[in-house]
Amino acid sequence: MLVSSSKITRAREMVTKTEEKQLNQLEIQVDNGGGGTWEYLCLVRNLKVRRSEKVLKHGSSILNDQKKRSALGPDEWTLNEQVAIAAMDCQCLGVAQSCIKALQTKFPGSKRVGRLEALLLEAKGLWGEAEEAYASLLEDNPLDQAIHKRRVAISKALGKPSIAIELLNKYLELFMADHDAWRELAELYLSLQMYKQAAFCYEELILSQPTVPLYHLAYAEVLYTIGGVENIISARKYYAATVDLTGGKNTRALLGICLCASAIAQLSKGRNKEDKDATAAPELHSLAAAAVEKEYKQKAPDKLQLISSALRILKT
Amino acid sequence: MAEDLVLDTAIRDWVLIPLSVVMVLIGILRYFVSKLMRSTPTPDAKMVKEGQVVIRARNLKVGANFIPPKSFRARRFYFSNEENGLLHVPKGEAQNPQAAMFSDPNMAMDMMKKNLSMIIPQTLTFAWVNFFFSGFVAAKIPFPLTQRFRSMLQNGIDLSTVDVSYVSSRSWYFLNLFGLRGLFSLILGDENAIDDTQRMMQMGGFGFDASKSLGAEKDGLDIIQHEWALPRFEQRAESVLRKLVK
Repeated sequence: MLVSSSKITRAREMVTKTEEKQLNQLEIQVDNGGGGTWEYLCLVRNLKVRRSEKVLKHGSSILNDQKKRSALGPDEWTLNEQVAIAAMDCQCLGVAQSCIKALQTKFPGSKRVGRLEALLLEAKGLWGEAEEAYASLLEDNPLDQAIHKRRVAISKALGKPSIAIELLNKYLELFMADHDAWRELAELYLSLQMYKQAAFCYEELILSQPTVPLYHLAYAEVLYTIGGVENIISARKYYAATVDLTGGKNTRALLGICLCASAIAQLSKGRNKEDKDATAAPELHSLAAAAVEKEYKQKAPDKLQLISSALRILKT
Repeated sequence: MAEDLVLDTAIRDWVLIPLSVVMVLIGILRYFVSKLMRSTPTPDAKMVKEGQVVIRARNLKVGANFIPPKSFRARRFYFSNEENGLLHVPKGEAQNPQAAMFSDPNMAMDMMKKNLSMIIPQTLTFAWVNFFFSGFVAAKIPFPLTQRFRSMLQNGIDLSTVDVSYVSSRSWYFLNLFGLRGLFSLILGDENAIDDTQRMMQMGGFGFDASKSLGAEKDGLDIIQHEWALPRFEQRAESVLRKLVK
């Protein structure tokens, strides 16, 4: 049961339900020509969400309209930057180039524009040149966190996770309270099946944000993958923490509890009764199984029989 | 019984209002001059690292009970061991922040700039007020005050018979000097509205002493009794699931 990075996408955004609702409403309004384009773009920027296609479409519509653009005043340059990044994300490199050119003429010699130029080199796949550009930017300011992170991204893009890990470790020696970096490092370690190191990273994440259930879940899965009775008992505890923090709504955690119970039963077969009693949590297991069945009954009744038989196998 | 004075409207037009307007304009001018003189401080890697260490140590202190005992012990040792712990500052290395400040020429220069932008305008405006407006009773406060306020409100007037609620021109200058923060926050925005009281307080305080905060965090970590919270979560999960399954 290896950890997939897909489940972390929600944590990456860290956007509240109300903010997401507001963003979606505004997006529908803008898509249907109801105005509020600039407000939408500001909200996307403030929430740090990735809606590149929409940003490119609506941002370009403002930048191409002389009247709308001049109404923005100094915010025009912020929009240029936002559209440039979105365009690179959508591989519309021509649009990105024109935005960056506009910024270059307005702010010659700016480090922030320099960073965008290097980003454009990355988007074009000119990794060596991008690396050089970042290196020269780091000479001017060795404490620029964004540039350090871009270098890690280049290593990942080149399929060199070990170099990315090395760079991230170096970065974390200095910026050791950056939990985004710890999360990225955890994922890199998982991709190389270095589970003990990944577990350490998830512990750091739990320390910095103890109420985020996804970190408890990821840590539980890493412990389960490492194996051994002690680790699996700990994994069950972290699955239980996830269940508690999500109000029992996380199916993955519920299934995790069932798997842990089954694995503990398998591993402690030869042990005496006292040890078995200490490690088993039969009620938690049966409650988790019942909760999973209930959820399947509500949301996927056609698969209920399948899950019921799977849970029965785990119980035996 | 203190006498009631009749204030000439010319005093309002040629003393009270000009003084207030000039003080506001000087405040705004000072803000822009100091903005021009301000140099962006280049962050020092050592300082950044120490700040980050403190944050991480605090995280460990706050979230200690969410990680297994073995993991907590390993981290505590990493932070506070006597040989090379991140929070351990050897006795000889603890640098006096004042000494650090004056050994760095940029810091000293910044302090001089701050002093200049504060002292020169103050000296000039005070001299101007003293020369042109000394001895005026400039305004009356619309509520009675006790005798203790006399020295504050009637600076430059040596008449004990005048009611305390009358304000002298020199005192009006001081009231403006220390009380225009609200107006500056409206004009310049909240974060720029530092009045002179705060400036003086800032001048008194010297740089951040990293060794003290590192030491405090180390002491805090050393006394923590680790009590793993996760076993309790199993019971809590059971009660959550019981409600859910019902």
